[in-house]
Amino acid sequence: MDTTVFVPVNDTDTPADGRLAVRARGLTKTYGTGEAQVRALDGVDVDFAEGRFTAIMGPSGSGKSTLMHLLAGLDTATSGQAFLGTTEITGLGDKALTRLRRDRVGFVFQQFNLLPMFSARDNITLPLELAGAKVDHVWFDTLVRTLGLEQRLEHRPSELSGGQQQRVAIARALIAQPEVVFADEPTGNLDSRSGAEVLSFLRRSVRELGRTIIMVTHDPAAAAYADRVILIADGRIAGEISDPTPEAVLAGLDALRSLEGPVADDGTQAGA
Amino acid sequence: MLQITLAQMRRSAGRLTAAGIAIVIGTAFVAATLLAGAVITRTVNDSIAARYADADLVIGATTDTPITDVGALEAIDGVTAAAPVNGTSLGLTVGNRTVYQLTIPTTDPRLMPLDVTDGAMPDGRDQVALPADVAERLDVAVGDTVAVTRDEMTDGGWQQITEQPVVVGLLDDPYGAYAQSQGAAVLDADTFLDWEAASWGTERGATEVSVALDPGADVAAVQAALAAEIGGTTSTDDARWVVETDVRASEVAASFTGDQDLMFLVFVLTFAAIALVVAGLVIANTFQVLVAQRTRTLALLRCVGADKAQVGRGVLTEAAILGAIASAAGVLLGVLLGQSALWIAHAMDVAVPLPDTIALTWQVIVIPMVVGVLVTVGAALVPARVATRVAPLAALRPADGPSVSRRAGRVRLVLSLLATVFGFALLAGGALLGTIAQEPTVGLLAGIAGGASSFIGVAVGAVFWLPKVTSLAGRLVGTSGPTARLAAANTLRNPRRTATTSTALLIGVTLVAMMSTGAASARASLTEALDEQYPVDVVVSSTFYDDAGVPTALPDELRAEVATAEGVSSVADLANVTLESPDFALDEDGAWVPADSADAVSPWTLDILAVDPAAARAVMNAPGDLAGLEAGTVVLGSWFADGLELSAGDTMALSGPGGTESFTVAVVDDPYASYLAWEDAAAAEPGLVANGMYVSLSDAADPNAAVGAIQFAVADADEPAQVTGAVVERAMFDQLIDTLLGIVVGLLAVAVVIALIGVANTLSLSVIERRKESATLRAIGLSKAQLRGMLAIEGLLIAGVGAVLGVALGLVYGWSGAAAALGVMGDVTLSVPWRDVALVLLVALVAGLVASVAPARTALKASPVEALAAD
Repeated sequence: MDTTVFVPVNDTDTPADGRLAVRARGLTKTYGTGEAQVRALDGVDVDFAEGRFTAIMGPSGSGKSTLMHLLAGLDTATSGQAFLGTTEITGLGDKALTRLRRDRVGFVFQQFNLLPMFSARDNITLPLELAGAKVDHVWFDTLVRTLGLEQRLEHRPSELSGGQQQRVAIARALIAQPEVVFADEPTGNLDSRSGAEVLSFLRRSVRELGRTIIMVTHDPAAAAYADRVILIADGRIAGEISDPTPEAVLAGLDALRSLEGPVADDGTQAGA
Repeated sequence: MLQITLAQMRRSAGRLTAAGIAIVIGTAFVAATLLAGAVITRTVNDSIAARYADADLVIGATTDTPITDVGALEAIDGVTAAAPVNGTSLGLTVGNRTVYQLTIPTTDPRLMPLDVTDGAMPDGRDQVALPADVAERLDVAVGDTVAVTRDEMTDGGWQQITEQPVVVGLLDDPYGAYAQSQGAAVLDADTFLDWEAASWGTERGATEVSVALDPGADVAAVQAALAAEIGGTTSTDDARWVVETDVRASEVAASFTGDQDLMFLVFVLTFAAIALVVAGLVIANTFQVLVAQRTRTLALLRCVGADKAQVGRGVLTEAAILGAIASAAGVLLGVLLGQSALWIAHAMDVAVPLPDTIALTWQVIVIPMVVGVLVTVGAALVPARVATRVAPLAALRPADGPSVSRRAGRVRLVLSLLATVFGFALLAGGALLGTIAQEPTVGLLAGIAGGASSFIGVAVGAVFWLPKVTSLAGRLVGTSGPTARLAAANTLRNPRRTATTSTALLIGVTLVAMMSTGAASARASLTEALDEQYPVDVVVSSTFYDDAGVPTALPDELRAEVATAEGVSSVADLANVTLESPDFALDEDGAWVPADSADAVSPWTLDILAVDPAAARAVMNAPGDLAGLEAGTVVLGSWFADGLELSAGDTMALSGPGGTESFTVAVVDDPYASYLAWEDAAAAEPGLVANGMYVSLSDAADPNAAVGAIQFAVADADEPAQVTGAVVERAMFDQLIDTLLGIVVGLLAVAVVIALIGVANTLSLSVIERRKESATLRAIGLSKAQLRGMLAIEGLLIAGVGAVLGVALGLVYGWSGAAAALGVMGDVTLSVPWRDVALVLLVALVAGLVASVAPARTALKASPVEALAAD
């Protein structure tokens, strides 16, 4: 069965000022060799503009997580290039990657991954501490206020609700003012209300604080909070939806599943 | 259930290894100790049997009814030879060297345990055979003469008689028959008996006779005949008896080594027990972590129908299997160690004849196995109970970070507090008893009881206070950067685990520090006591007396040799003179009275040292002893001054052959000092000669080497003189203390090594359960070096806190012990063995650092991607 999905023309995201936060060119990741070889990612070209909130969506095993790992410098690509700003991160050594993650990238994890022995405040400032940098108190206060954590700063993670923990994690990801924040299923471990709250915070971070966020999710409702949704299937970009609504995203996913053609901008199947 | 247990063990094999090693070391220690005990017993046994050489039977009698007619025994049918098993100590002198040596009579070759290596056995009054190494020490060879001093009983008491036999043979003691007396010299049997009879005034007879039989003789028949001859039986319970040699040898060995063996075993096994306690802590920690990590699996088991008992039994079964495997490995290691030690001893040709192989008894295998399994299962009891508390519901919850930070019980707190407070009070009491009440025995007992009680309290209560100390230490290092802050926070997330790990180290370090502090304090106190006793480093004095009982002069060459010996900084001549004082007299009881008293019956004399004041002051460690000494004064110690009711400024007349002179009295602190200026003494005693000398050593000199050089100079001069003094005795004590300390610290080192394995174990377990967290930290920018550094600081913190507290506790215990035991000697000097303390801390810190290497490697394997993994 031919599972190739046509990659639409509008696969690059060109913002008004034309600056790109993250780019991928021919990004490929294979596991295993010979018969058992799996192409988790198959020559992906994709751009992410600065100051936008992008969601990467796709079914399990589509390669969305692999794409994020490669873009964030957490894993090494088999071939192709990934750029953060103007820096090519494919081919960087561990030291350079560590510095890059510390200074220019932020992460939000599905399971929050806060350090249990540190207070919320310490967790938030940890990346700066590791870098040996000073805390920008104005920015810290802005983050804490925006995320509604003023009353929770001295609490340990175990004394916080899931939503609060994830907000602390978002603050931690943003404290170093990174060029891009990668969020991996940030609502996966949250109930729907906390999830909605966290997603609005992510959107506010983009709209009000001018951050760039790339989020991997399989939840159409979550993806709908993004400015743009990239659909991925079988290791390739399968389409994208601008200014998505949950319905549009669902329709796009359905289109992917039926695999009968590319997905149009409005989420409906082109040429159907 | 067993299947599941085994499967879980396989999955946790790596985690169980470190705990297993702790048990392996502990049980190997026990096995090796038991083996060593057996070797000692056998060595003693063999050497006792060796004393009877190839005798078939041994005859014994009590000292009241000794066997006098050995010849009559030889007349019995079947007896080849009979010889008394006797020995006496004789002084052998060549030049100025004297050796006191056990001496035995010649016998039939079959009954003689010693071999002749050169020359022959003595055969006549003027002959003697010496152990080869004694001959070497006396510097004599076959054909030389030695002076043998023996006592002879006369009407007026004992008189010393010096014989001058010729050395006719050199001897070896191949079976160690006389190993305890460094071999034995041999005299002709008749001569030996004559001398013995002379010394006791009568023929003493033998209490033991070894008997060799004709080849093919009926042993039982001869035994019966001999028993009839001596009027005894074939049981050693009777006054006179005849038994086979083996029977006698094992009886003697049992009777006189029984207690020593036991002492040795108890002493060493105490240290083995300490090592096992420490191993138990390491195991308890491992199982707590394992149970915590398996919370979900355990809950799942409970969900599918396992009851609490089954879950708890699973943990205990696991412990029992681990204990059994590790103990078996430990026994094997102990056996290998024991056998290697024997091989090394053989290769090094030690003087004591040792067996070629170790004797594997059932005890050597079973006792360590049982102890090892019991300790392991015992240590797993608490974790097993924790496992039973896992609710089935836990299987449904998301996996939280595992933690066992259950609050320790109130009972534990109260008990440990009581034990600590009571123990320290008792310890202080012991120290006071020793210093103030001068009751060293009671004081030491109180101190030991108090020390043990407080130490148990401290160790049991460690879970309450140790985390606080770690937190404080963590805060201190935490200020140095984020890596240190992370490390400090990590050590505090599982206070109980950190506390147990540090406690394991604390136990060993405390005991090592206590021993070295005690030794250092003992050394310092002894030094002070010796300095008080001996005013100078070294005294050389003549030991040859003229007819008047005055020591003869030290020859000029000898004095020159000593003065120029290596390490000697200055010397002062010294003369012993005895002068009368016409002012005082002795009464009938020997008490001092004024000369004009009615009770005066005999003249009062004073043994006084004549020195050149300036030269002597330059040499003495306490020149204050000579305060006021000049021509025309006599220096008296407070004991003399008080006894004579004299005080400084009084006058005292002293008279000798040269005349009577009046002297101004100067009183000094050293109670027994008495000094006179050389010129005054020479005036009173015209024949005054230097018969001794004070020697001071240069500060830079190695005292032992300097003393050796002086002793060599004295020996070389071939003059009867002795070398004494503070430095000489100090060297002796130092050696004794160093040897004892070395043994004890060596034994304690096992516990420390196990504890350090525990530190590595705790770190690796932490790393395993923090795998995801390490990945997160790497994802948000922790570099590999920082991760490695974090674990290194964790290791340093855990080890450092244990070591520092251990040293502090050890100092307290060492000082208290020294105060209790040495208080009776006067002022106890509490010293800190800085070198040892620094060494202990260094070892602990380096080990903490090293312990973090392997866990860091594991942690670094965690890719940052794992932070994103769902579970």
